[in-house]
Amino acid sequence: MTPDVTPIALLNVANNMPEDAELWDGITEKQITDWETKWKPDLKRAQLSRNVTAQLDQSQHWDWRKKSQALEGMLALRGFSIVCNDITQGLMLVDTTSKRALIESQRGKDLVYIDYIENAPWNRSVLYNPPLYSGVGSILMRAAIALSEEEGFKGRIGLHSLPQADKFYIKSCGMTCLGQDPRYHNLRYFEMTPEQAQEFINKGS
Amino acid sequence: MKIEISKAWCLNMARLEGNAEIGAGLLAVDPTSHKAPIANPAASNVSHIAFGRLIRLMRRKEGLTIENLADKVDIDVDEIVSIEDNIHHNADPRTVYQLANHFKLPKAELLQLAGLAAPKNDALFNEAVRFAARSDPTARLSPEEQAALEAFVAVLSKNK
Repeated sequence: MTPDVTPIALLNVANNMPEDAELWDGITEKQITDWETKWKPDLKRAQLSRNVTAQLDQSQHWDWRKKSQALEGMLALRGFSIVCNDITQGLMLVDTTSKRALIESQRGKDLVYIDYIENAPWNRSVLYNPPLYSGVGSILMRAAIALSEEEGFKGRIGLHSLPQADKFYIKSCGMTCLGQDPRYHNLRYFEMTPEQAQEFINKGS
Repeated sequence: MKIEISKAWCLNMARLEGNAEIGAGLLAVDPTSHKAPIANPAASNVSHIAFGRLIRLMRRKEGLTIENLADKVDIDVDEIVSIEDNIHHNADPRTVYQLANHFKLPKAELLQLAGLAAPKNDALFNEAVRFAARSDPTARLSPEEQAALEAFVAVLSKNK
């Protein structure tokens, strides 16, 4: 299936200039190939580098094979990707059917649950100084809001943030943290209400 | 699905986003994450020791090498080594499920022991402490260890 493509722009961090990019309504073989041939080697180099290793929990085990298998499984699921210079810059996987809102004002209502969102390694300041592009997270969140609206969920979104990304979901996205979730490795669970979705969109207007 | 997003909006938000990390969902975890996903904080090193020794003794009881077990349960060899020898290692949930299936152990209790689920009560933890104290990971499986292993497996099964 050919994904719908929306023209967007990313910010080139080094020169503070926009670059044309595309938001794809889907995750295709191209994204899986980019992950295997471009993202993974970069992450592996980072794994070996002294700076990053110093930040790791020494006991952390990592299994690349499992992640590869999981990513291949995404081809059958609903997702979005961002492509710039013919390379995948960000990935997001969503679930529109199995999760309901937990925040009191929206409790029990349908939402778009973000199963997975990730930036390309070269867009991450922990790996590259400066990173290449900024804006991937905001545009993917905007896509999730648009999907939520299209599904009739009024912009409601839920996700489990990695600890280092909590700040983005609180400050940039204005989401509500509902605390650590013991059923999800104690990652913090965040939700966006319809009002917060509108505020997020207005921020960039 | 076409989405209305102006390039001006993209750039305004990119400037707000800055260098923020954006990863969400367990699949986004990678070796560069500042922190690994956190196992249940209530899980102590003692529980990890008991989990590691349980797997080692169950493996030895079947006369399996680590490589044999890795093959049978489709887990990487280094993950089993970490489970058996590294008390700080947080096992992957899939791994625990695979091991529970192979050794016919109750999954919920094994997840608690591995620190991946909140303990329901202190009884399992207390038994894990006793088990960790009784078992010796380097010796041959003695009759006492065999008895300790079977007693502990019985406790796991009883709490099911």
